[in-house]
Amino acid sequence: MAELDTSDSGAKKKHKGKVKGKKMSTRVDLTPMVDLAFLLITFFMLTTTLNKPQAMELNMPKKDDEDKTDIKESQVMTVLLDSLDQIWYYDGQTVADLKTTTFAGDAGIRKIILKKQKKVKRTLGEKKDLIVIIKLLQGAKYKAMVDILDEMDITDTKTYAIQDPYPLEIEAIENGGNPKLATE
Amino acid sequence: MPKVKVPRKSTIVDMTAMCDVAFLLLTFFMLTAKFRPDQPVMIDIPGSRSMIKVPEDVIVIQVDKNGRAFLTLHDQATRLQALENMQQRVGDRFPAIKTLDEKQKTRFSLMEMMGIPIEALPQALSMPDLQFKEYAKVAKGVPIDSATNQLGDWVMAARYVNPKMRIAIKGDKFTKTEAVSRVIQILTENNIHTFNLITSLKVGKTAEE
Repeated sequence: MAELDTSDSGAKKKHKGKVKGKKMSTRVDLTPMVDLAFLLITFFMLTTTLNKPQAMELNMPKKDDEDKTDIKESQVMTVLLDSLDQIWYYDGQTVADLKTTTFAGDAGIRKIILKKQKKVKRTLGEKKDLIVIIKLLQGAKYKAMVDILDEMDITDTKTYAIQDPYPLEIEAIENGGNPKLATE
Repeated sequence: MPKVKVPRKSTIVDMTAMCDVAFLLLTFFMLTAKFRPDQPVMIDIPGSRSMIKVPEDVIVIQVDKNGRAFLTLHDQATRLQALENMQQRVGDRFPAIKTLDEKQKTRFSLMEMMGIPIEALPQALSMPDLQFKEYAKVAKGVPIDSATNQLGDWVMAARYVNPKMRIAIKGDKFTKTEAVSRVIQILTENNIHTFNLITSLKVGKTAEE
């Protein structure tokens, strides 16, 4: 490939038989070897996965850790994840006021959390932070759990906890705000 | 006009140097390539923005789509030692684990994803290779239900080998959270409160303010 057939070499070949004791060149054309090597490099580069998987850190509270801090009701937001990848959320303690949202980029839960964060800062002062309580309903997917934990990281929510849902919440979602039932 | 003889230059390029470079790179990639270990079940991990690398010394608890739990310890020596600790730990409750011979133990240490209940271990480890491979795919996983919780014992036995080992949970995208929550519950019962969730890196997720 790197070698073009010049007329020189052609001429030499003609006289080859006549010249006695001519030293043969020890040069080997390495082009095919290079081709092969690069082919293998390409193969290995494409097949190896150099990236190690990433990890999120999760801290669970200790059972006996009765560390009670003063939390205002308006500081808390409860987020429930269901089996249909929907997010239900409500402020404070009133279970009745359930709203639904999704994970969709800017319009979903992220915007709601950011808005709530600002509201907490505005009404309770800069020192107070939003506290999110995450509850996983029956059949919720692990992906949703990772996604919501990721949203906590994205929105810079420092305090959040994973808890089991109350029967009241499960009931409210089953009857109350289920959009599918409402449209039928 | 003087006769200017333009010497014909050979177009042959010396390939030796290029060849050297190519093989150097090839060697590098071949040596750094780590082949994916043979896994009985595929786990499709969800993405997150997290950039923390998974620590080297880690006990991975894998939970597949059907909620089966698998234990993955990273090297053969650790696995072997964990098994021996386990024999001491639960030998009274599960006499089956004490009957393992050297050959079965070696076989155990070669298993990348351990998802066999203790009761079934002796029988499974004496199966012929092909049958064993098939069995590993359909095995019930390490029992995690409250009646027969073996995962807690396995984790503690593995931690006993090296107390510095971190714990990571690797779940499939479609794993039900009940199974993952149960694993977390088992961990907290054993006083492990900090652990990692393994995810793949997903770019382009940012807070817009």
